[in-house]
Amino acid sequence: MQNMTAKQAPRSYKVQRFLDGWSLFYENLIGKIGLYLLILFGLMAIVSYIPPHVDPMYHPMTGVDPDISYASPPSARHWLGTDNIGRDILSQLLTGARVAFLVGITAAFISIVIGTLLGMVAGYGGKILDALLMRLADMVMVMPSLLVILLLSVLFGQLSIWTIVILIALFRWPAVARVIRSQTLTLKQRPFIDMARVAGASHLRILFRHILPNVLPMALLYMTFRITSAIIVEAALSFLGFGDPNTVSWGMMLQWVWKTGHMFQAPYWLLPPGICISLMTLSFYMMGRAMEEVLDPRLRKIRKTDHAAT
Amino acid sequence: MNMKKLILRRSIEILAVFFIILTGLFLLFHIAPGDPVSMMVDLTMTPEDVERLVAQLGLDQPLWTQYLYYLKNFVTGNFGTSFHYGRPVIQIIGERLPATILLFTTATILAAMAGVWWGKRIAWYKGKAVDTWVTIFSLVCSTLFLPWIALLSIWLFAYWVGGFPLSGMMTPELWVVPDTGIVSKAADVAYHMLLPLMTLFIVNTGSYLLIMRSSMLETLKEDYILTARAKGLTERQVRNRHAAPNAALPVVTSVGLSLAFSVNGGALTETVFSWPGIGRELIFAVSNSDYPLAMASFLFIALVVLVANLIVDILYAYLDPRISY
Amino acid sequence: MLLPVIRHGKMLTGFLLSCLLAALISCGPGKHDSQMLRIGLMEEPRTTNVWLASDANSRKVLSLIYQPLYTYDPDTLDLAPWLAASMPEYDPATESYTIRLRHAKWSDGTPLTAHDVVFTVDLIRQFQVPRYYAQWQFVEKTVAVDDQTVRFFLSQPRAIFLTKTLVSFIVPKSQWAPIAQQAGSTKKPLVALMNAKIPKPLGSGPYMLEQWRQGAFLHMKKNPHFFGKNLVICNRRLGPHADAILFKMYSTADVAILALKKDAVDFFWWSIQPGYIDGLEKNRNTKIFLSDRSALYYMGFNVRHAPFSDPDFRRAATILIDKDFIIERVLQGYAASMDSIVPSENIFWHAADLPQYGHGLSREERIQMAFRLLSDAGYTWDRPPVNAAGKVVSPSGIILPSGRPMDAFTILTPPADYDPARATCGVIIQEWLKDLGIPASTRPMSFGALLQRIKDRQDFDTFILGYGQLSLDPDYLNNFFHSANDRPGGWNMSGYRNPEFDRLADASVQAMEPARRQELVWEMQRILMADLPYIPLYNPVAIEAVGTQRFEGWEQMIDGIGNIWSICRVKPLAAPM
Repeated sequence: MQNMTAKQAPRSYKVQRFLDGWSLFYENLIGKIGLYLLILFGLMAIVSYIPPHVDPMYHPMTGVDPDISYASPPSARHWLGTDNIGRDILSQLLTGARVAFLVGITAAFISIVIGTLLGMVAGYGGKILDALLMRLADMVMVMPSLLVILLLSVLFGQLSIWTIVILIALFRWPAVARVIRSQTLTLKQRPFIDMARVAGASHLRILFRHILPNVLPMALLYMTFRITSAIIVEAALSFLGFGDPNTVSWGMMLQWVWKTGHMFQAPYWLLPPGICISLMTLSFYMMGRAMEEVLDPRLRKIRKTDHAAT
Repeated sequence: MNMKKLILRRSIEILAVFFIILTGLFLLFHIAPGDPVSMMVDLTMTPEDVERLVAQLGLDQPLWTQYLYYLKNFVTGNFGTSFHYGRPVIQIIGERLPATILLFTTATILAAMAGVWWGKRIAWYKGKAVDTWVTIFSLVCSTLFLPWIALLSIWLFAYWVGGFPLSGMMTPELWVVPDTGIVSKAADVAYHMLLPLMTLFIVNTGSYLLIMRSSMLETLKEDYILTARAKGLTERQVRNRHAAPNAALPVVTSVGLSLAFSVNGGALTETVFSWPGIGRELIFAVSNSDYPLAMASFLFIALVVLVANLIVDILYAYLDPRISY
Repeated sequence: MLLPVIRHGKMLTGFLLSCLLAALISCGPGKHDSQMLRIGLMEEPRTTNVWLASDANSRKVLSLIYQPLYTYDPDTLDLAPWLAASMPEYDPATESYTIRLRHAKWSDGTPLTAHDVVFTVDLIRQFQVPRYYAQWQFVEKTVAVDDQTVRFFLSQPRAIFLTKTLVSFIVPKSQWAPIAQQAGSTKKPLVALMNAKIPKPLGSGPYMLEQWRQGAFLHMKKNPHFFGKNLVICNRRLGPHADAILFKMYSTADVAILALKKDAVDFFWWSIQPGYIDGLEKNRNTKIFLSDRSALYYMGFNVRHAPFSDPDFRRAATILIDKDFIIERVLQGYAASMDSIVPSENIFWHAADLPQYGHGLSREERIQMAFRLLSDAGYTWDRPPVNAAGKVVSPSGIILPSGRPMDAFTILTPPADYDPARATCGVIIQEWLKDLGIPASTRPMSFGALLQRIKDRQDFDTFILGYGQLSLDPDYLNNFFHSANDRPGGWNMSGYRNPEFDRLADASVQAMEPARRQELVWEMQRILMADLPYIPLYNPVAIEAVGTQRFEGWEQMIDGIGNIWSICRVKPLAAPM
């Protein structure tokens, strides 16, 4: 975070600010829980590379236990049991963490980039540009994004995980753009922007050198919320059977357990992916809330609900 | 800016947005691979059969002609005929939309009211352990993966514990009996709504609670609360008469937005609970290339969302004179 | 507006909650009529217009209303007279068939006569109704000899007349003539016919439609005029015994299964996944039926271009595909391996002694065998899959006999929501092909897009598709592989062309004598299994579940217990509820 806050400040000041923020964050119970959960999932994602090297049968997608060809409950060989074709659920679950991070962070990052850029441009540009971009944001905002992505997925054949990521990003920028715009509007009134302008800085330079560093913390905060919604959308899509079948995600696991008729027969298969999806979104959400309080407690008023974005 | 002007401007905006969605949808459906007839194809259908059908459904016309036709029909309220039902689309939507609206508005209102009720109370305990735990609990509930928790609750409450219906909107056995009165029919629908409502309630209430809590904390810093306290009103009066009504404003906004999102997730909820709503219908229509039905259901969903937003904006402007547009 | 709401929020919540509570108390799970058969469906039927009905559920419902002249004997799968009184009489001189009808009635009490049959055939021919026209196209003239006798004149001998045409249903002239006349006068007669609203379809079957509440349920009542009441056909005495049928919709199989276990439904008319079997067998309320199916799940090649045009390549791919693995794992053992396009369950038409590629071999042996076959055919590798010592290694850079490297290609499958088994098969087969360095990757597509790409644009490499209900008559061999059907939109999706096969196929279409046709069909299968434009994979078992608390006497036949015989024969259990 320290690299992103005001560039002009001396290094020691920045470090100090970061440390202050960090201790504030760490004192916050919610932030702490979120952080621990996140570390847990991070570990899962890292560990996920190990099982296939132990034995090819632990490959999450293609490995099958040579002796087990049905859904089996947890055992010494398969700590969380196997799915119906004899694949190890634990290694799928671990891989799922990796996919969730990948989907969540990439989609969130793209949407934050779009949202921040458009928000800055709208706020700085003003007038027609502002009106146009904000109407566009309104429009995208009211779109039932899950349904639209579903529609696209059905119409254009099954989408790959990357297409899904990009689509999620394309539907999730407006809220960010709005907040960044209002921040930019306040920043624009600030004297240092005027000074820069008088000094002959180009619009581009003002935008990226002076405004961007100041709105970045906000953008970063928003990223945590975008991550949760991206994970949920991917899970929901996969759950309905419109995910990428070559990817082992938690939503995909739920789809398998559902469509093969093991829903209520194999709790050891149904519960872990659901719990993981819920906890991972929870951890990002908690992190976000804690960060929010660190950055500015008054900001809570501006944000609108993102939670129900399934 | 006065109210009339605001409503007028927002309505025009909504119309423009609607038109764009309309056109976008049309294009999307027509450039996508896979024609509607190919979905009806089975082995008994010869290529000649397909050709005849395509011609009769007007799908062999150029894109422009189809688009103009579509616009013209749309303006006159003719949404076309569903390929699979063979009935006017508007009829099907007329049957499904009320079910969706009934379930989701009830769920949202209940959740928002409960959120306000608990949120204003919990704000009083800021900093105490109970506040932290309620916050954590609300966060846990609101991040539960909806379809998953919905299936679990069916299994738990309708199967394991029993007493709740498994699925659907009504008990057919009851409805086929000719002398069943309107009251028992309504009660039957309410009874079927219990489980979906409960699930939505669990998932949605938490976030309203949190919004209400934060907003309440902000409000409590305002001068007029101080004044109220200084007048010697009880804490309870201050909370319920003075703080809560103002603090509830952000909840109103989020109700409008979350209505949009519940329509979104509604497809999932409706599928899991076999609720005969429009979201489920849309998924069916889309995966079977029933163009007219899919487009119209999508448009109606968009319309509901847009109108909900409009109402929220107006309400907001009405309730909070500080907001200017 | 808002303020009072908030102020009285508590009261309002209390009120709503108590309303719901009252609702909960006032109606438990509704009392039910012990004579009512409750059938669960996966989706709601879409229409009661029989010409429009293209979805499985509408057809299920309509099959209880509209009846055919003949149906299949559940034991022998031979033609059995249904509305007809006896087997058709053939007159070679005029190329005509004469059929005598039973004294049947429509559900309104009016008699079903030869005129209704003539009307139905003429309607299909006049409107060229999709799906049905192809079956009646070669029937030049239909004549009502008298009220109970009808004669069909064929323009040419066609084997499918007996096995397919005669099992299509008859509609009442009294209900459809006005609709047909009105539709005929519109600009788009076919669409007008197919979109005609039929709130109360008039039929001759065991049940008639009483009420259809869209989105909730469909209620049918016993047809008092059903011709089969107490009649013995194919050694079975027909009922029906249930007074009414109630179709309930469950949009997920899980909930339907729970409903079966809770005795909220008597039969779930849908082939369920093997995963449910354990739980259902443990439950004393439910019973499982496993039935053979006439189905074909296969992998197809676009034989129009390399490398798929090379039969050796297709054979090598067949060797690599371990059907037993797919069946054991993906289908949990509930499927039969297929070695021909005609399922082996179709005893009469299935050819024996066909090659079983790679049967019983281990993975390594399969790779070695396929490797030998391909290297003999001129394929080379940068690093071959089998090294000098005969060990299987990870290969790279497969090169065609022409010297060009093999391009990466896709295996198209339906999406996972449509059929998870096929999507999974695609992924598994892709990995097997990679063992030989063949650069395959799976790509699931929505069904419509998939068919359009394969059938219309013919722009694809390989695909995995299936037919859940393959007709018992092997006429589909013609559709799939005759060169005349290799055209945009035609069913010969592989683009297979073989003059020898065409000759046999043409002969089989005209062969009216079953033994002769059987021989031809067997020969056709031998050619196909040597050339392998399709690799048949598996034929799943139909798994169906019923509740045992209220009804008994389900009739099992090919494709399961959801058939007209079951509906006409299930009896309520004597015990009072």
